[in-house]
Amino acid sequence: MLSSKEQLFQPKRPEAGLPGVARRPVRRRRRLRIGVLRVLVLSMLITLGARLWFLQVMEGSHYNEVAAGNSIREVVTPAVRGLIVDDVGRPLVENRTTLVITVDRSALARQRDSGRAVLARVGALLGQKPQDLAQRIRLCTATVGQPCWNGSPYQPVLIADDVSSQRALTVIEHPEDYPGVAAEVRAVRTYPFGSLASHTVGYLSPASQDEVAKNPDLNGVLVGRSGLEASYDTVVRGHDGVKRVSVDRFGRLSKVMSEKPPVGGSTLVLSMDAKVQKVLEDALQHGIDRARAEHKPADNAAGVVLDAQTGQVVALASVPGYDPAQFVGGISAANYQHLLDPAAGTPLISRALEGAYPPGSAFKIVSAATAMTNMGATGDALYDCPSDLQVGNTSFHNFDSEALGSITLHQALVASCDTVFYKFAYDAWLQDGGLRRGQGPSAPPNEWFSKMARAFGLGRPTGIDLPGETSGLVTDRESRQALWDQMKDTYCRRAKTGYPEERDPGRAAYLTKLASENCADGYLYRGGDATQFAIGQNVVDVSPLQLAVAYAAIANGGTVLSPRLVKAVIGPDGKVTQQTKPVVMGHLPVAPETLSYIRDALAGVVTSGTASGTFGGFPLDVLPLGGKTGTAETYSDGDISWFASFGPVNNPRYVVLVVIPKSGQGAKFAAPAVREVWEGIYGINRDAALPAGQEPASLPCQRPDGSVAPPPAPGGRCER
Amino acid sequence: MSLGMIRALPAQRGDFARINSRRSRHQSWLLRVDWVLLLAVLALSVLGALLVWSATKQRQEDVGADPQLYLKRHLVNLVIGIGLAIVVAMIDYRYLRAYAPIVYVASLVGLAAVLFVGTTINGAKAWIVVGFGFQLQPSEFVKVALVVLMAMILGEKRDDRRVGVVNTPSHGDVLLVLGVAALPGVLILAEPDFGMAIDVIIIVLGVLAVSGAPLRWVAGLILAGALVAFFVLQFGLLKPYQLDRLTSFAKSDSNVSSSGYNVDQAKTAIASGGVLGKGLFHGPLTHGEFVPEQQTDFVFTVAGEELGFAGGAAIIGLFGIILWRGLSIAARSHDSFGRLVAVGVVCWFSFQCFVNIGMTLGIMPVTGLPLPFVSYGGSAMFANLVAIGLLQNVYARSRDDDPYPA
Repeated sequence: MLSSKEQLFQPKRPEAGLPGVARRPVRRRRRLRIGVLRVLVLSMLITLGARLWFLQVMEGSHYNEVAAGNSIREVVTPAVRGLIVDDVGRPLVENRTTLVITVDRSALARQRDSGRAVLARVGALLGQKPQDLAQRIRLCTATVGQPCWNGSPYQPVLIADDVSSQRALTVIEHPEDYPGVAAEVRAVRTYPFGSLASHTVGYLSPASQDEVAKNPDLNGVLVGRSGLEASYDTVVRGHDGVKRVSVDRFGRLSKVMSEKPPVGGSTLVLSMDAKVQKVLEDALQHGIDRARAEHKPADNAAGVVLDAQTGQVVALASVPGYDPAQFVGGISAANYQHLLDPAAGTPLISRALEGAYPPGSAFKIVSAATAMTNMGATGDALYDCPSDLQVGNTSFHNFDSEALGSITLHQALVASCDTVFYKFAYDAWLQDGGLRRGQGPSAPPNEWFSKMARAFGLGRPTGIDLPGETSGLVTDRESRQALWDQMKDTYCRRAKTGYPEERDPGRAAYLTKLASENCADGYLYRGGDATQFAIGQNVVDVSPLQLAVAYAAIANGGTVLSPRLVKAVIGPDGKVTQQTKPVVMGHLPVAPETLSYIRDALAGVVTSGTASGTFGGFPLDVLPLGGKTGTAETYSDGDISWFASFGPVNNPRYVVLVVIPKSGQGAKFAAPAVREVWEGIYGINRDAALPAGQEPASLPCQRPDGSVAPPPAPGGRCER
Repeated sequence: MSLGMIRALPAQRGDFARINSRRSRHQSWLLRVDWVLLLAVLALSVLGALLVWSATKQRQEDVGADPQLYLKRHLVNLVIGIGLAIVVAMIDYRYLRAYAPIVYVASLVGLAAVLFVGTTINGAKAWIVVGFGFQLQPSEFVKVALVVLMAMILGEKRDDRRVGVVNTPSHGDVLLVLGVAALPGVLILAEPDFGMAIDVIIIVLGVLAVSGAPLRWVAGLILAGALVAFFVLQFGLLKPYQLDRLTSFAKSDSNVSSSGYNVDQAKTAIASGGVLGKGLFHGPLTHGEFVPEQQTDFVFTVAGEELGFAGGAAIIGLFGIILWRGLSIAARSHDSFGRLVAVGVVCWFSFQCFVNIGMTLGIMPVTGLPLPFVSYGGSAMFANLVAIGLLQNVYARSRDDDPYPA
């Protein structure tokens, strides 16, 4: 307070005119000015307080996230993927450790020259060009394409694997020369059998940015892209360990916030047997070789060995295959192009389940079953087998235009007479009203043939535990109409424009004519189509796996099984977490006697029919087989050679099926390959892949170290 | 100017007697200390020591140095500063002010020397290394000298007992003050340390305004300052980093520039503290060294992050107490000298407080001004505590009967 004393000093009237002498307002002015200062100080403090309140209390949570984003990082310890082993525990896919060199791109970015010097040193060390390395570690964006890094910016980028320990030590011992570069041990996939069953096991590649956006846990993780690696990805992958750490401004770890240890993936035990698989792949390759020796353009083949009773897949092959090891650490563009090259047989495609081909006469089991079940045919009745059958103004003839006279259905199957089955299919088509498409006042069409085909599991995926399966094609009036509705615009456009991209003018003219016909009345299911259906031509496509399932149904007495590759799943702790039971898709609407009749006829095919020549010298008395040849005609590529078989006939155990496109007759190319497989399985003139033709009764054992031992003797237990 | 008429007034005698009867010279020194001010300063200093410790602990550990090094030095500075403050507070300021010109000249020499042998920190050549890791910043001491000198020039005549009336400072006084302030001001600008220069200008303006000098001077000076600022900006006399600092606070998303980064990190650190903070020594951003210059210019961010709104508001509140007490001491001082000293100190602290905290909150430009009592730094600590000693001195003497005892 201003003292009252000074007031007393104050003269009543100031001495006006005296220079420098204060007037009365001076004191008030001074007081006022200190008051103004108080107001200024107060408003300043309030401003600071209000701003502080706004930042910390109103916007605190937002900035909390920003702060966490600044200072919290997740470090992922990848879980070791589970093994994939065959029925006796042979690993088809296992892990090995490798020394890898990684580059932390954010660490390089912080360096004065953006890491150029470090990349140059690493390039010199690894014998790679620094500019190539720079490309591989740059982030992929909309404008920056491969080569680039598709993962998280904070995940170190792998630039070299299988590095020698000497080079790795150079990096480890000279951190001052290699800041941001690390050498570490990583588990990578290894394939002890090389390309064996490559389509079945599949390959891995790093999760893409889109996948990471959907599931952040996939950041920096390898994901199965095909085969079992894809379909059992989550089972095999396990759970990555995640360590949340707070880091400082320089990205250095300062504190571990939380830690979740990795949990290894489960082991897949397959019903597939590596030896049978090898036998099958060799047989397919020999089949191709035989065809090529006869100057056929064959360049691929597919085969299936199914357990006829359980639907378990014993072998599943498509040749050519590929070495999945190419994908470890990233496949080169040239290698990937090769896997997609049609001239090389498109090795990436698994034709056993992705390929759809007309089955030809191998389809006649369906036609015979339809005739006997729905068309009133009997086993001992005689049917005329002329050399051709006139339908409308077209003549459909037998293979080689042979006439066999009056024969039973048994003989029709054994000798593969087409005209007998044409007649049944044409009659069924006429019964259904011919060109009538299920419209109008009449009863709906029965469509016996397509119904039977679907009952055999054709025309839809088999449901095998692999991705990418085809549905195949089963045509009837309804599906023909649906297809036409969908395609008519294309047909009509092509009818006008033709196929200028087609090199072969004859083929272009053929396709244009077809488009023109389809544009006009492609919705019609014609009598000719129905006759072709009966012999598995033109309007029917099946995958080798689908047809194998159909033959398994004939063999096992009518049960249509969904095939399975994985027999059991063993958890990382060695306990069996899942055991596959046969999955029944349906039962054939066919009497057991009819099935028995067809089996008998198929046995006749091998002993005295179209395949008897192929099986000359085969001990059919010990191992009686049944089978059916198929020779499907295509416009240009040569015939598709089929042979589907099962055995032993009296107690069917396996179905063995082979298809060799672009080769020739079923009996000539596919059947010998099938014979080779049977010999391999049972050890005829060679070692048996399956002792006594038996699959192991029990599961292999997982050792505590994660490796897998063969199954114990019957009644025994796994040692733990 | 002796008129003698006031002394003749009879009513005065009893008054004198009453005041004389409780002459403070014989009073307990305990009663002559502004305890509120003292406790607020001590609280702020202790808080400051903790924050400096927290800000430097991790940084020191990272380089393998003593994590408590800054704490220890800060405490040493604090003890020396308190010692200085006690000395300054004990000696009657009417004797003490005789030393002001010496301090003034010494700091001028220091400011001049700094231009030749100084160390450049953050663009300003403002420090002289004295060894043992200690540095001197003469511009801090110049503020003490300036405050006292200005109070002498503007205040002394008005307390002339022979005149007995209160004089307003003459134009000559004002010019003299401006001259006295301009000398160090130019040297500080030459460093260049704009923040400190503006600090000096604010002190001069504040003291002039309260001294009773004609408002024309105050208004004129403000106008002149605005014109100078205009020309400086207009003709690009600022170095890019200076312009960057001045403008970065106005741009919300200026991550590209380094001061933009500083301000962003400072704001983030403070705001992420929330209401109660992350706990002392537990701020992830402080711990992670995200905020640069954190023990000096950005020390408030440690409080914001680790002590939250509670801690930040407490610091602002403590400043409120100190500044309020300073103004009260100014208001109750018997003589203009004491009053102007107090006002000068208040202007000095409030400007630095506002600019420093405002900078970390993103509402003021980035300047190199430390937060009094809290920031690490010996020179500032000494100068600030000497200033508090002066305030205590003025407080103690304002209880005395007579500024010029017979």
